[in-house]
Amino acid sequence: MKLNVIFSWAILIILMYAVQTSLLPFIGFNGVSANLMLLLTVSTAFLKGYKHGILMGLVTGFLQDITSGSYFGCAIFSYMIIGWFFGKFSDRIFKEQLLFPILSAPLAAAIHFFIMNFLISLIGYKINFLYSVQNILQPLIFYQVAFSWLIHKIAYDFYKFIKRRG
Amino acid sequence: MNTPRSRKEKNQNQNKTAAIIFILAFVFCSIFIVAKTNTQVPAAGKTAMAFLSPFQKGFSSLGVGVSDLKDSVEEVQNMQVELENLREEVKNLRSQNLNASEAISENQRLRALLGYKQNATQFDLVAASIIGRESATWSSVVLINRGILDGVADNMAVVTELGLVGHVLEAGLNTSKVQLILDPRSSVGTLIQRPESRVAGIVEGDINNPHAPKMLNIPKDADVKEGDMIVTSGFGGVYPKGIVIGKIKEIHNDEGGLLKHGIVATTVNFEKLEDVAIIVNSREAPPEPLPPIIQSENTDPNSEDAAKQLEYSKQVQKEVHDRVKQAQEKQLEQARQSVGGTAN
Repeated sequence: MKLNVIFSWAILIILMYAVQTSLLPFIGFNGVSANLMLLLTVSTAFLKGYKHGILMGLVTGFLQDITSGSYFGCAIFSYMIIGWFFGKFSDRIFKEQLLFPILSAPLAAAIHFFIMNFLISLIGYKINFLYSVQNILQPLIFYQVAFSWLIHKIAYDFYKFIKRRG
Repeated sequence: MNTPRSRKEKNQNQNKTAAIIFILAFVFCSIFIVAKTNTQVPAAGKTAMAFLSPFQKGFSSLGVGVSDLKDSVEEVQNMQVELENLREEVKNLRSQNLNASEAISENQRLRALLGYKQNATQFDLVAASIIGRESATWSSVVLINRGILDGVADNMAVVTELGLVGHVLEAGLNTSKVQLILDPRSSVGTLIQRPESRVAGIVEGDINNPHAPKMLNIPKDADVKEGDMIVTSGFGGVYPKGIVIGKIKEIHNDEGGLLKHGIVATTVNFEKLEDVAIIVNSREAPPEPLPPIIQSENTDPNSEDAAKQLEYSKQVQKEVHDRVKQAQEKQLEQARQSVGGTAN
């Protein structure tokens, strides 16, 4: 992969993460707002297949894990599995099709939510599952659906832009 | 048919799947090793934070505008009926109002913080703004725009004029991560403020209720009531003694039967947290001025010691009175100037 392609990707990911952590909390609900890193991983997996999906999951998860105060590895593990899972459907859908990424956003949010809760439970925290579903998963799904089209469009145009530049 | 080529492709696919499973297993195991040993990745984390912080600062200031816009829209919705007659006037004033309300709210927040800084003479404080919030939904960590270069270090307490916010989890060069007291991993040694009670307990974040932490380990027969104020006990060395945390909202018995716990309503509104102060140094609070000696029947009015003490206490009282008067005049002057500045 060329150096300028890696650099372009790094800028896009950093910008999206900065928006996710600085701007989106202002329009969040009860501390929950859209997870753009998750949406970017799903879109990459749909557009470029499971290998790129896993790689994107690794990068976005790593960025989230080192900059947030959460346990290192949780986001990497969750995003890599999601990148792998959705990447498996890459050759069965049209790349221009925007409906699948929008429909898959709630599923990706739910998978991420369950993996994170599973890991946190294994570490030793007791989680009130029903409360978390109502107060975290429901608003998260709403935000993910609201932002999925935009993020998929950005990822799709970005891939086209990089392809054009060779 | 199994040609050598298809067999080769099959082998390659199997190898890839095995590699992915190996990486996932490795990450899975590392989560628990990191959790057990409480390891951080300081170098990578600090580098990433240094890269991210300029973008976060930019988007954060944009976010304040978005937040104000959101608040204004909500306000307008709630008061629609009442404002129907004044709609024309509101139209003309709205754009002017947006700028003014932003300036006033910032002014109020900073003035409150400044007031706290002047009152809390036992603390050396560094003011900071929140520039990022964590995206993980189960924990509560925020990013502030002060770091090692500003004198911030790990484990320093973070407060506002209303009470305790948390402590510095990791100080970067010019940004730091602050773990809020709402985080389930945070635990603060506390006391009930009421002089007859002074019951000690631990305030911990509740993973199931991220907006209200719990005060744990209260003996069942302890003198703790709903409405009691909670302050830090100073045990543990991270948080100085006497910082307000909140008050007991509800009391529940624990399952074991020997202990109970209280749900705490924090004095700080963490949803609207924008500016904080970091306690970079703390010392003993200065002693209160001596109270004047009251002459009783048993006091010998001719006694030389009593007369000296009386004279001294009168002097101290006068000095304190003068100092308070000067401070009040100065504050009044500053307020007048800042109000004049805002109006201009």
